[in-house]
Amino acid sequence: MSSGERSTVDSPIEPAEVTAYPHGWHELDDDPRWYERAVFYELVPRSFYDANGDGIGDIRGIVEKLDYLAWLGVDCLWLLPFYPSPMRDGGYDVADFWSVAPDCGTVDDVRLLVAEAHRRGIRIIADLVINHTSDQHPWFLESRSSRDNPKADWYVWGDDDQRWSDIRVIFCDAEPSNWTFDPVRQQYYWHRFFHHQPDLNYENPDVRAAILAVVRFWLDLGIDGFRLDAAAYLYQRDGSSGENLPETHAFLQQMRKEIDRDYPNRMLLAEVNQWPADVVDYFGDGDECHMCFHFPLMPRMFMAVRREQRFPITEILAQTPPIPDGCQWGIFLRNHDELTLEMVTDEERDYMYAEYARDPRMRRNLGIRRRLAPLVDNDRGVSELLHALLLSLPGSPVLYYGDELQMGDNIYLGDRDGVRTPMQWTPDRNGGFSRADFAQLVLPPLMDPVYGYQAVNVEAGTRDRSSFLHWLQRTLAVRRQHPIFATGGIEVLPADNPSVLAYVRTGSDEEGERAVLCVSNLSRFAQAAELSLGRWEGARPVELVGRAQFPVIGPDAYVVTLGPHGFYWLDLEGRG
Amino acid sequence: MTVAPDYEELARLAFAYLERQVWFQSAIDSSSRAQLELVTSRTLRSSLPGLARLVIGRGEQRFQVLVGWREPAELAEVLHGRESALLGPVFDGGEPVLAYDAIADDELLLELLVHVTGGREHASRVRRVSSLVSHASLVYDERLFMKCYRVLERAARPEVEVLLRLDKVGFNALLAPVANWREDGLDLALVREFLPSALEGRLLALTSLRDLLAHASSGEDGRVHEPGADPGSPPPGTDPDAECAAAGGDLASEMRRLGATTASLHLALATAFGDRPAGVSTFAGAQSAVAAADGPGAAQLSAQLAAVDPATAGRTIRLHGDYHLRRVMRSEVGWLVAGFSDDPLYAASDGSSPGRRGSAVEDLADMCFSIRRVAQEALVQRPDAEAAVATVLARAWARRNQAAFLEGYVTTDGVRRLLPRDPSVTELLLATFEVARELRYEATSADA
Repeated sequence: MSSGERSTVDSPIEPAEVTAYPHGWHELDDDPRWYERAVFYELVPRSFYDANGDGIGDIRGIVEKLDYLAWLGVDCLWLLPFYPSPMRDGGYDVADFWSVAPDCGTVDDVRLLVAEAHRRGIRIIADLVINHTSDQHPWFLESRSSRDNPKADWYVWGDDDQRWSDIRVIFCDAEPSNWTFDPVRQQYYWHRFFHHQPDLNYENPDVRAAILAVVRFWLDLGIDGFRLDAAAYLYQRDGSSGENLPETHAFLQQMRKEIDRDYPNRMLLAEVNQWPADVVDYFGDGDECHMCFHFPLMPRMFMAVRREQRFPITEILAQTPPIPDGCQWGIFLRNHDELTLEMVTDEERDYMYAEYARDPRMRRNLGIRRRLAPLVDNDRGVSELLHALLLSLPGSPVLYYGDELQMGDNIYLGDRDGVRTPMQWTPDRNGGFSRADFAQLVLPPLMDPVYGYQAVNVEAGTRDRSSFLHWLQRTLAVRRQHPIFATGGIEVLPADNPSVLAYVRTGSDEEGERAVLCVSNLSRFAQAAELSLGRWEGARPVELVGRAQFPVIGPDAYVVTLGPHGFYWLDLEGRG
Repeated sequence: MTVAPDYEELARLAFAYLERQVWFQSAIDSSSRAQLELVTSRTLRSSLPGLARLVIGRGEQRFQVLVGWREPAELAEVLHGRESALLGPVFDGGEPVLAYDAIADDELLLELLVHVTGGREHASRVRRVSSLVSHASLVYDERLFMKCYRVLERAARPEVEVLLRLDKVGFNALLAPVANWREDGLDLALVREFLPSALEGRLLALTSLRDLLAHASSGEDGRVHEPGADPGSPPPGTDPDAECAAAGGDLASEMRRLGATTASLHLALATAFGDRPAGVSTFAGAQSAVAAADGPGAAQLSAQLAAVDPATAGRTIRLHGDYHLRRVMRSEVGWLVAGFSDDPLYAASDGSSPGRRGSAVEDLADMCFSIRRVAQEALVQRPDAEAAVATVLARAWARRNQAAFLEGYVTTDGVRRLLPRDPSVTELLLATFEVARELRYEATSADA
């Protein structure tokens, strides 16, 4: 399908071919605030599973793996862009908003995926690139064709490249300027990202209407929401940073209003790589985005583990303002992009490069393009600790496909492809990702002796009851049993040992007040700490995973000892 | 009983109580033969449980005792485990009540907070941090800290004065004062913020050292020693400075921030208390201490210092005066400076002198000494077999973090005006004060 028109979706839904997994199915609950308790799972459709054997992952492939995802215990899939695209930026250069890239499938496939996922209690959100399009998008092709065509004003054009010169260049490794000269129209066009991704002109009401129509199209199909890509950059203003402008918030609120009116139980998740104090504006008064990513927390978790002290984490928690009721942070360890270091000081960035990216190939823009397991030297203890933090800090955790296996990366691939290699399903050919010839594959699967698919794959992980995969599945199940992790407040507790991070998640449920103490050892050595738990004097803590009872809390400091990178989740109300 | 008991009777009980206290025995002027006497008394709460404040004198010295009273039946539960706080029975013609040190009574301590803060602050919980020093330390709701002084001072307490004035000039890297209870020219209590998760800088330093020494000493980095080589010696080609820089727990960035905080502190002290040109007396004490020390290094320092024109030695300010890694705290909002304390039981024993004037370089030297000391402290925790390599690394760690601290200090806007114009003079003063600090430390340790 070409530009600007909706497809008609009327073909029947075929039953999906699925593999049996023992657990995991549950009803899709009718809860408008489901995202507050959800565990998200981000996946790259082209790299997840190839159902039709053409070497490229597809929507049908995701359908076939839904039982695995249900077993793992995730509640919502976040799909990276599957729209037609020249693929010069992983699909974030959209050439058609109304359709599915032929190599990924069809709109019918998306409808099938939504139905099958919902049947398993899993929701689907899609990446929606609202700031820009590909330069191959028909809107742009028309806009550049002359200065007076109907879409001439759908992008941001200028006669020179001097305006807004103070606005930073985000992809500083690749782009010298936010302006690029178009030889056809003989003008410069504005782009916050790659030069082949011209920014849409949101001053134009037709553009706003077109994007809202795209939103409605996918919501009509049953999609449960969107991850709004680059939501902070929709407008520009003289003398501003071109980020977080009031007009941007106004448009997002308009989008939210329409969704609330016509599409119950849907949500918006904003990608706003800013400081928490700025990001909270994207929640509005609870009338803008339902969720926003908490970007600065992520590098600080890695920093805290390497420094073996808690202050990088507690510092950013202290800087995180409260958010409106009905809103939630999205927190993550790794994702499809580089480990972004925009929200750290120069000194902290140097530190992170020195500790986690000594090889320059590991660096990209202001970040580190590596997966979780290689970042932590494949140390399972650190991986477990980081996930324990991820699952117990305030926010909905977002897992990245393959990290549940401790998959590796390939820093010799270009751009961020190194962290988007095919999911490793089995030790068989192509890691079970595809039946196609190796040469046809969208990206080469990992074959190195440590992280290669022969050693690291879902089949091995599910067979081995002591695998990281099983550990994560069990831990997700524990988290699910205690909604306080999702919706409770947080209070950082004093501990006399800088290597120990302790906080209490507090709240109430139908049974009364709840309090869960989360205490973590950020050091690779055993540690002890004295905690001040006087408020819970007389309570007998119960460890949530094994249900072991701990000594009763007395009037004096409570002594906790932890093994290297160890952690406890302790129910302080004795209802573990 | 709903009215206050006879104060003379209470005072007699309090005298005996004071005589039993370790802190009191340490604080009294043993050369004086003066007797204890009741100086002032005031009822803070007349109902049961009651609360009164007594100021007791012994010659020129003044002591504060907060006295509570309750009916005997309920006191046992209140004092549970703290029976030594009991003063004794008091009669006023009605039923007897028992008087006790009110610091033992949570309910009265919550009342005390309201009283001291003029009703601005209320709390639901209180805990005692320590009661063996010249003041009681109380934490309310893990957010407020009250120092209730037992040993009172007629002159302005440096701690109170410095905190209030630094707060007034906008220096916020401290635990901000909330209320100061002052009556009859005496500071009775100070309430300030409490940041429960703030930690002494020393603990961060030890964490950093633990990481470095374990990594480099125990072969975690996969370094291979030559066959037959001493495993406690660094392998050939090892660069300890590079190892420190590459360690995950490197503290240099934190030390730079601490240096900047220290510079801000000195600028605030200069604003709050003024600054003056340095003179001979600015470093005379250190110079004579160094001159009296053994060793050619000390003699050389002393000789070099003798050649310095005091007029070029920068400015003098009111110093922190006891500046080391136990006096600074890392919190979620950055470094905080603490320890403007003037605890008479401790200040005299370690040779520190809070509140005096001097060259800002003195505080810097104290911190540099402290950084070096903590590195030595960490060495004690390593096995003897690693001593050689650990010593080399610990020294490199100290050098790196001292340098980072000083860099953070001197690169702070405006602070250079406090220092000698010639950086070599600053370095000379730094070395001299650090040696003098070490001599003081050694003398104190020997005494101990």
